[in-house]
Amino acid sequence: MASTIFRSFQVHSFMLYPTSLVTRRNGVFRFTTKASQSQTETQQRQQTKVSQSTQSKKLDKIPKDYEAVIGIETHVQLSTLTKAFCGCPYNYGSHPNSTICPICMGLPGALPVLNSKVIEFAVKLGLALNCNLALNSKFDRKQYFYPDLPKGYQISQFDVPIATSGFLDVDIPMEFGGGHKRFGITRVHMEEDAGKLLHTEGENYSQVDLNRAGVPLLEIVSEPDMRTGIEAAEYAAEIQRLVRYLGVSNGNMQEGSLRCDVNVSIRPIGQSKFGTKVEIKNLNSFSSVSRAIDYEIARQVQLHREGQEDQIVQETRLWEEGAQKTITMRKKEGLADYRYFPEPDLPAVILSQEYVDGIQSSLPELPEIKRRRYENMGLSMQDVLFLANDKNVADFFDATIAKGVDAKLVANWIMSDIAAFMKNEKLTINEIKLTPVELSELIASIKGGVISGKIGKEILFELLSKGGTVKGIIEEKDLVQIVDPSEIEKIVDKVIADNPKQLEQYRGGKTKLQGYFAGQVMKLSKGKANPGLLNKILLEKLNSQS
Amino acid sequence: MGSVGAMVKGASYSYAVFCGSFLGSPRLGFNIHNNKKKLLKFRSFSSKNTCCSLQPPDVSRLAKTAQISLTPNEVEEFAPKIQQVIDWFGQLQDVDLQSVEPSIRADTENNLRENAPETFEHRDAMIGAVPSYEKPYIKVPRVLSMD
Repeated sequence: MASTIFRSFQVHSFMLYPTSLVTRRNGVFRFTTKASQSQTETQQRQQTKVSQSTQSKKLDKIPKDYEAVIGIETHVQLSTLTKAFCGCPYNYGSHPNSTICPICMGLPGALPVLNSKVIEFAVKLGLALNCNLALNSKFDRKQYFYPDLPKGYQISQFDVPIATSGFLDVDIPMEFGGGHKRFGITRVHMEEDAGKLLHTEGENYSQVDLNRAGVPLLEIVSEPDMRTGIEAAEYAAEIQRLVRYLGVSNGNMQEGSLRCDVNVSIRPIGQSKFGTKVEIKNLNSFSSVSRAIDYEIARQVQLHREGQEDQIVQETRLWEEGAQKTITMRKKEGLADYRYFPEPDLPAVILSQEYVDGIQSSLPELPEIKRRRYENMGLSMQDVLFLANDKNVADFFDATIAKGVDAKLVANWIMSDIAAFMKNEKLTINEIKLTPVELSELIASIKGGVISGKIGKEILFELLSKGGTVKGIIEEKDLVQIVDPSEIEKIVDKVIADNPKQLEQYRGGKTKLQGYFAGQVMKLSKGKANPGLLNKILLEKLNSQS
Repeated sequence: MGSVGAMVKGASYSYAVFCGSFLGSPRLGFNIHNNKKKLLKFRSFSSKNTCCSLQPPDVSRLAKTAQISLTPNEVEEFAPKIQQVIDWFGQLQDVDLQSVEPSIRADTENNLRENAPETFEHRDAMIGAVPSYEKPYIKVPRVLSMD
């Protein structure tokens, strides 16, 4: 039901605000809307109900239809061993000002030298984002004064970035309606990070840690193709998935190795001109991305509705996680003048077609391709999205089915018991003792009737925590399923003989007691009796002597 | 340093080097590159320019963006000198480059380094030279925006 409602809102894309209300009611997101918006809230909730019941275009109640236009700038911190322009290592959490040198500190006379790995990672990401690569690009100086920028400029790429005009294919999660979306990528360029600036409350000074200064970044600028907070959040999640798949970054928003700034504007549907765009910073998770955008859209729509659209100015706002709203930063005097010019201390970045082709052929299977492949196997979208989300899980899955077992069965095991174990023990799939070979062996054993499904689960737990082989455990614990009817008959006979009272009750009409007998047989056989055979023989025996 | 014939559309870096060598005096710690923005903008939008279409320098604004304070006398003094440099650029822009392929840089070779960590030996000396250091941070005045 939820997905149908959502789909109807995706059609009437102006109803972006009610979308967030619906998702809130369904408990998918948990956030509170401001009390001051309650009037609009109630009005729109009524409209939500109208749409729900009729699912037709009852748009006459709404004075204007609005469409949100969203673009995202993502900064990806590269996991190269050393910084972009010097040999200093970078480790998150190092003691302040410990991994520095004259180059990244911007001391006079120091000259930058580009780390070859940065180019490799940039080309990898550019290719994975389906971009055109500039075989000749250059670095520029972006000049401004700020305490965390030691040189007084940031080495970046201005007019000739290393990659342009790409796209990213994304699958919207099932709980938000599902579906495929393609978002354009305007450009990808290389640049260096600034240091960290810490402000202490109430003091008239700040503190600078230059460990991070000079760390290589890739900036990805998207086309303004997103229309809702959810699309934006999923785009960001896919970027994270991608950089992890490629091994260029650990893509961690909490650590700052993946940073997103979003640009949001709205316009009446049908208008081709863009509205005033507002930038939002300080987003620390994908859900903040989604919530901040929804809030900002609502804020802008309300101003439009009140006839105060001129109150929407081009500015940067901060997302306040506690208050769940965007607030103005102190307004700047005008647009920043960065006085870009080509970096004189660095030569051009020249790529050969051979180099690019080499990297292209070394790319791993990307998430999008993997999802399509899994879909073609007949797995449900839910399974597909789960398995393809983490490359290590996907690799485990692929290794298991390579042994010839049914994909659906493998998916089920991974998504239920194995995932639950990983969550409880806080282990990754690479850390559990179960191997893909043994998982395939387990599934084959159950399918072949060697062990029952229930025993299989017990063996799985043993494999996950202690490792070992399926064959070994079966032997060691004597778990082979009993499928010989005469064997089972013997046990059934014994159980019936041992329980005369229950037998009488059963014969008297309490047929539910069959379960009791079955349980006793299982107990006696140490769980090894084949359930199907057991019940067949049991029923025969129970009903025969009457 | 680099031939003047085939030049970048903004001719920026050779300009910088050119100016640097001319205005060698250390007193003029000017960030000459401020002029670049105007020239770059010009370059991108037009293929032919005459020196007359280049604007005279707004020295006060340039000084502000470079965060250098100048007395009114100094503003007056520097304006014609900077104008001269701009005029040289006007001459460069007069060159007909229609048939010349723009190059990104004069040098043609990558100069790359291996991705291998190196610890800088004299970290203490660098820290020792920081004017205001409160272990383990560099202490700076509280600044909240880029203005």
